[in-house]
Amino acid sequence: MPEWLLWFTRFENTKVFALVLFFVTFCGILLYVYTGKSRTERLESYRFIPLDDDDSDLDAGDGEVKQR
Amino acid sequence: MAQAGMGSTQQYNYEIIRKFAFMALVWGVLGMGAGVYIASELAWPFLNFDIPQITFGRLRPVHTTLVIFGFGGSALFATSYYIVQRTCQTRLYSDWMANFTFWGWQSAIALGVVGYMMGYTQSREYAEFEWPVDLIILVTWVVYFTVYVQTLRRRSQPHIYVANWFFIAFLLVIALLHIFNNLAVPVGLFSIKSYSLFSGVQDAMTQWWYGHNAVGFFLTAAFLGMMYYFVPKQAGRPVYSYRLSIVHFWALSFLYMWVGAHHLHWTALPDWTSTLAATFSIMLLLPSWGGMINGIMTLSGAWDRLRTDPIMLFLITALSFYGMSTFEGPLMSLKSVNALSHYTDWTVGHVHSGALGWVAMVTFGSFYHMIPRLYDTRLYSTRLVYAHFWLATIGIVLYITSMWVAGIFQGLMLRSFDDYGNLAYTFVETVAFLHSPYMVRAIGGMFFLTGILVMCWNVYMTIRNARAEAAALEAKLAAKMARI
Amino acid sequence: MIKHESIETNAGLLIALTLIVVSIGGLVEIVPLFFINDTVEEVEGVRPYTPLELRGRDVYTREGCYLCHSQMIRPFRDEDLRYGHYSLAAESQYDHPFQWGSKRTGPDLARVGNKYSNEWHVAHLLNPRSVVPQSIMPNYPWLLETDLDYSDVQARMRALKATGVPYSETQEEYDANVERFGKAVADKLDILQAEDNLLAQALANDYDGQRSRITEMDALIAYLQVLGTMVDFSKYNEGYFVEFR
Repeated sequence: MPEWLLWFTRFENTKVFALVLFFVTFCGILLYVYTGKSRTERLESYRFIPLDDDDSDLDAGDGEVKQR
Repeated sequence: MAQAGMGSTQQYNYEIIRKFAFMALVWGVLGMGAGVYIASELAWPFLNFDIPQITFGRLRPVHTTLVIFGFGGSALFATSYYIVQRTCQTRLYSDWMANFTFWGWQSAIALGVVGYMMGYTQSREYAEFEWPVDLIILVTWVVYFTVYVQTLRRRSQPHIYVANWFFIAFLLVIALLHIFNNLAVPVGLFSIKSYSLFSGVQDAMTQWWYGHNAVGFFLTAAFLGMMYYFVPKQAGRPVYSYRLSIVHFWALSFLYMWVGAHHLHWTALPDWTSTLAATFSIMLLLPSWGGMINGIMTLSGAWDRLRTDPIMLFLITALSFYGMSTFEGPLMSLKSVNALSHYTDWTVGHVHSGALGWVAMVTFGSFYHMIPRLYDTRLYSTRLVYAHFWLATIGIVLYITSMWVAGIFQGLMLRSFDDYGNLAYTFVETVAFLHSPYMVRAIGGMFFLTGILVMCWNVYMTIRNARAEAAALEAKLAAKMARI
Repeated sequence: MIKHESIETNAGLLIALTLIVVSIGGLVEIVPLFFINDTVEEVEGVRPYTPLELRGRDVYTREGCYLCHSQMIRPFRDEDLRYGHYSLAAESQYDHPFQWGSKRTGPDLARVGNKYSNEWHVAHLLNPRSVVPQSIMPNYPWLLETDLDYSDVQARMRALKATGVPYSETQEEYDANVERFGKAVADKLDILQAEDNLLAQALANDYDGQRSRITEMDALIAYLQVLGTMVDFSKYNEGYFVEFR
């Protein structure tokens, strides 16, 4: 095994390394997702996808027989 | 925008969904029936009747397989096919391939279960299928994946809705798990028996990597996909936060795969592995609750729906149980708690608060929403949905409280010492103590089983009415045509 | 700038990324177990199962015993008093699949070997309540009535050999086993002699008390009686095993 790989086999190294790596990634995702007004609006607009395909007659009126 | 109503039965492939939904209920009744029976065997051992095929050891995998893969699996096929069509607004890819997944999956379940009763098992929990059945599942899964992804590619929407991400993660992970955990050498080409490729500690780790991620991706991620579609639809309002769903999807996918080793605390597995698993189990609480909050808060501002809509009641209660068991899970993965809880009925209770409370409840809610739409009609009876809800809830409460009592007290009894430093109880004394909790558990199971039977009746009547309506409509139309 | 939408609108990218994200955990936790030597302790005495024990183990898995009985003693004082020394990874190194279990509806069996007599096991398996009145274990009367099918025992051993269990077929493999386990054990691991060995062990010990036939009961008790007996713990001091944890 090459010398530099051995660095990873020691727990005192890998624990901190993994913690920093994962935490920074996590913070990056959070920052990306939760900052920027236009990004927020854009992302939140996708919430409505399932409602686009609506059969509202069954939702609200609950039971009105459909007129076709 | 797509045309709903009459058009949707032709626009979408609903036939395949109807078939899977039907089989989900059939396997659900059989699997929960088997569950009640084996629970009763523990309370009243004479029920084993000296018949090999129905002794506890052979019937228990029948129960778990029927409810997880039969009921849960068929429900996932049904709802994923429904959701992918509706959110992509396109018809399912390839009717014959979809049909192939139906027959492949159902035959795997049936063959597997009959095999266990005859004594053919890999003896790996939740992966008891012997190698021929494993191969059927593998082929079915590849076809399922193809159908799903090809449908996604045909979408008329630029975006892939979040529910589909969860289904994709589920499809991928289950494939990975299934392949690696079932690596085995058959005794012969014509022998059903096989021996696992790995042994001892590596085998244990592979099995629980599988075991816990089957919970994580089969019973959690995929059902979250279900939740992300049916909760907003039933509430008639969009999901609480799309950004939260992004964060929680990636976090959940990443973290879940680390936690399997918490099933092996204090065993011969190296310490570092189980400590790592415990650490990630604690972190997993966050994305789990992210999902729960996202689901429940969808109803924010429309809480009164809970008073008038029993389907919403099912869905929100399911999310509450999801929140509860994803809190209990990390707690039990702490090594000190696990020392007491492991090997006891506390674990069994925990599984069922997830399986009955989350998986089954969210399936019931989704089915009550979906089935009338599949048949273009209304649900036969809302009052029966209420009845089902209360039967199920009482059943779950009886089940998990009795298992808490059984598990915690057995754990405490086993580790208590008398004044001289000797063990205070023999093992069989704790077994005698368990008799009452086991009876209560069996009764709880009966409540839950009665609930799904009520559901079956409701669904049956719904479909019957739908057929009658359709026939009446046709007759009217024919009469009209005749007059002209 | 990369947008999350690039993933949301591209099924292939979504699949690839998900696959990467879900693979990391398993890779980090499982792969090292195959390569870190300390994972399995170096200890004398652990050997593969004899043909009869192997068939007994098959009966054990067939009946689903692992669903109520663990074979993994944890390092706690109460378990030490109740079951014996905590289990070592080495003790299940030939277990395909492992039988550690996840639930103790009945007691742990990792060291049940030699704790009870053969007669006790027969009585207990026929009707557990005849010896333990409060037991909730099912009766297994068919074990005593069913002749053991050992026609494919060689094929079974060959399958296990393919997974890495040191059963021998050639002279070379046999010699290696003699060196590793001693001649007495190496003889029993010889696949070509499997049927003779199985018959000899069953006849010599007469586990089920019926000398005239070899039943599944013989095989199962042979397996139960060897569980946890392979390692002589008096040879090691306690500190030795701790190093491997």
